[in-house]
Amino acid sequence: MPSLPQRKVGIVACSGEELPGGTVTRLAALKVLEELRPSETVTICLPLFLAGGEGDRAFARFYPTIAVDGCERRCAARATELHSNKPAAAFTVDEIVTRRELPQPQGTRRLTPESRAVIDALAEEIAGEVDHLIAVRWSRSQGAILEPEASSTAVETSACACGSGIPVTTVQLDGRSVQILALAPILELAYGQGLRADGSFPDQIMATVRLYNAIPGGDETLWEEAVAVAWREYCAGKETRHGA
Amino acid sequence: VSEQSSEVRSRVCIVPCSGIGKTYGSVTREAAYVLTEELQPETTEIVPLSLLVLGDEAAQEVVRRAQVITLDGCKLACASVNVRQAGGAVAREYAVLDFYRQHRDLKPGGIAELNEGGRALARELAGEVAGVCDELAAEEVNHA
Repeated sequence: MPSLPQRKVGIVACSGEELPGGTVTRLAALKVLEELRPSETVTICLPLFLAGGEGDRAFARFYPTIAVDGCERRCAARATELHSNKPAAAFTVDEIVTRRELPQPQGTRRLTPESRAVIDALAEEIAGEVDHLIAVRWSRSQGAILEPEASSTAVETSACACGSGIPVTTVQLDGRSVQILALAPILELAYGQGLRADGSFPDQIMATVRLYNAIPGGDETLWEEAVAVAWREYCAGKETRHGA
Repeated sequence: VSEQSSEVRSRVCIVPCSGIGKTYGSVTREAAYVLTEELQPETTEIVPLSLLVLGDEAAQEVVRRAQVITLDGCKLACASVNVRQAGGAVAREYAVLDFYRQHRDLKPGGIAELNEGGRALARELAGEVAGVCDELAAEEVNHA
């Protein structure tokens, strides 16, 4: 069985254009993404939470995120929780400035050279949190860090080609290969909620699948059949492992 | 006439896409800064998209009342979508990719720091948007 894709940590920066802190969050996030932890992180676009970014919402629902805010309004942290899931960690520029006794950043379009220290410090803190989140066990069904004794699960999946780290499951529909976004964690979530394959196919599974996938008109029945098969196989796999 | 116009004229809201991971997002941000800091600082202002995403009442009220010009970095058009979801009317929307197709000599590159082409494209975009702001202001005066 293929292994899970490497876990990624999503970074959500407020990127507010009207204040220095917003520029600091953007540049610090970019430093982590491009220099410090390029293999372990992805950027999550905050406005996409509302503009139809199913991939971004799904990622933050099932994978750990770090919210980085430029002011106490904490738009990134609050919007991530509002539209997807509570961030695994959150930073504000002010807390870094205070804790490290750094000068307040100045400038918006172009930060002053002195502000560079704040960017570096914030990027360093984010990278440290990325390392922590990669090291701990993460429950995709609960969207939270697991206790050390909790058991791990494995599902058949691969990483989405968009590079977001979202698992996709490929199914055959009438001879066509179709990719279903986030199916594996959705099944894991349903199973964790106590649903089983011993009765009718639970409606809430398809409802969640629809949330993260745009099902073409006319394909609804085929999708439901494919998801139902995947659900039965998933449950059978769980029962086999528990019985072993 | 000029003084009367400036009295009547309200600020035009500029909403760049605020994407952080791609060059075209950086172009929208730079264009917004050029416009609001250099070309029309008295008559334009940036409304941060993050506040609209959060559902900030004050930011929503601003885009509902003002003329809004959106600058989007990709086809998902987050700025335009979020302004409309906040109840605002988009007076003019720009997609940087389309704008670049009309200015292929200004090829943008870089994200944290735009290259020369990116900065030039942003300045060109800001200049065009400034013209639109003037048109909107003239319409506003005519309707007043």
